[in-house]
Formats: sequence, structure tokens, C-alpha cells
Amino acid sequence: MEARQVQSCPVITVLAYAVMALSGAMVVWGLITAVADKPPGKAQLLYAAGVEIVTLVQSIVAFVVLAQGFRPDELATTIGYLIGIVVLIPVAWFWANVERTRFSGVVLAVAGLAVAVMTLRLLQLWIPA
Amino acid sequence: MVPAPTGERSTRSGPGKVLIAVYGVFALAACARAGVQIATRFSEAPLAYLLSALAGVIYLLATIMLARGTRTSRRIATVALLVELVGVLVVGTLSVLDPEAFPRATVWSVYGIGYGFVPLILPIVGLGWLYATRPTR
Repeated sequence: MEARQVQSCPVITVLAYAVMALSGAMVVWGLITAVADKPPGKAQLLYAAGVEIVTLVQSIVAFVVLAQGFRPDELATTIGYLIGIVVLIPVAWFWANVERTRFSGVVLAVAGLAVAVMTLRLLQLWIPA
Repeated sequence: MVPAPTGERSTRSGPGKVLIAVYGVFALAACARAGVQIATRFSEAPLAYLLSALAGVIYLLATIMLARGTRTSRRIATVALLVELVGVLVVGTLSVLDPEAFPRATVWSVYGIGYGFVPLILPIVGLGWLYATRPTR
């Protein structure tokens, strides 16, 4: 079927590696400000928003590919991941700003780690059924 | 860790913020996983999937109650964390002794090995945190 051709669409892979690299840097940045005993600065919060945008683009592109007929090995799990992954950073952003301390950075790091791990799982699941 | 500042301590302040963030991630992970399992292949392993759902509800309850940090929510959080600890120990042990009973993985299988044993560590850290922030009377 066409599924293989859709799967070979490299955008998903490129986006996934970009998300993993960006969210990985978010983890490191969050831990650095925590060790330095500082709350996350404006640049760091903007960066987190940027990571969220790329994550959102990844989910949208993946849904478009799914709509075009690509069926990954575990469709329901993949859809769950694609939706769940976009709520993490906004919630962490809000939670980090409720009371700004060094621990706010760790909260951003936790969200970054979760996004990176979920993206890795998505990539592993992204094989034709 | 910095020493606890004097005065009122809430379960959500300081390192508690991180604990709640991790609980939130697990609430999302466990609820989503259980939702997918129950919606798509419940008949394959009803017990395992119901346990997944129970774990998800307990993580969600613990997240909300720790984030509220009132006296009542502390009590509810304590009960939720104790249930969680018993759950991960019982399910973990059963899944090691009798893998047949758990043909499909849950968050708590083999003490949460699929999640880096965080499900085992989390309730212990959480109960420790509830104790550390207990109201002085």
C-alpha cells in the first residue's frame, strides 16, 4: 500500500529529533538555574514556549500524516501521545510561575524530560502496522 | 536541598513543586495509558487494565491534593499515597511471582520497571514530604 511511502516522509523523523534536542536543552537549562538557585528567567520561559511550538507542529504534522492514511503499529497509543505531549509544557509553565523559586526550573526540566521521552516513544511507534 | 524556611509550609512550596510536577506527569501517563488500553483491548487483560486505571486515578488524586495543600487535602493525599505504595508493592510482587496474572504491563508491573522504578520511589518520597511539611501543633 501507500503506507510505506507516507512513512518514509522524513519530516516526522527530523521534527522528532529536533523536539528531543530542544527539550533536552530545556532539561539542562532548568537544572542549571536550579543549581544556581535562581528562578527561570524571561529567556528561559520564552525558550520553553518555543519548544512547545515545535512540539505542537510535530503533533499537527503527525495528525496530517495520519489523516492521509498512514497507520502506525499502535494507532490509539500514538494518538494518545500526540495529544498528551502538547499539554505538558503549558501546564509546567503555569506551575513554574505560581511561585517562582529555583524549583520552578526543575518543573520545566521535568516537563522537558517527559516531552523528550514521549517523542522517543512516538518515533519507535511510528512504523507501519 | 535548602533547609526548610521557618513558618507555614505547604505541600506545594519548595521541592514540593517538583514532586507535584512529577505526579502530574504520572497522572497523565497512567490515565492516558489506561484510557487507550480500556478503549481498544479491554478484554485481553481486564484486571491489568483496571489496575492501570486505578493507578491513574490515584496519581491524579495525589497530584490535586498535594497541590491544594490544605489540612483535608493532606489527609486525602496521605491515603492516596499509601494506597499507591501498597499497590506498587503488591502488583510489583505479583507480577514477578506470577507473570501469567499480568499478561499486559501496568504502571506498577515489576515495581514500575517500565518507568525507571519512579512509581516505587514516588510514594515513598511523597509520604516523606508530607511528614516533613506536617503542621506543627
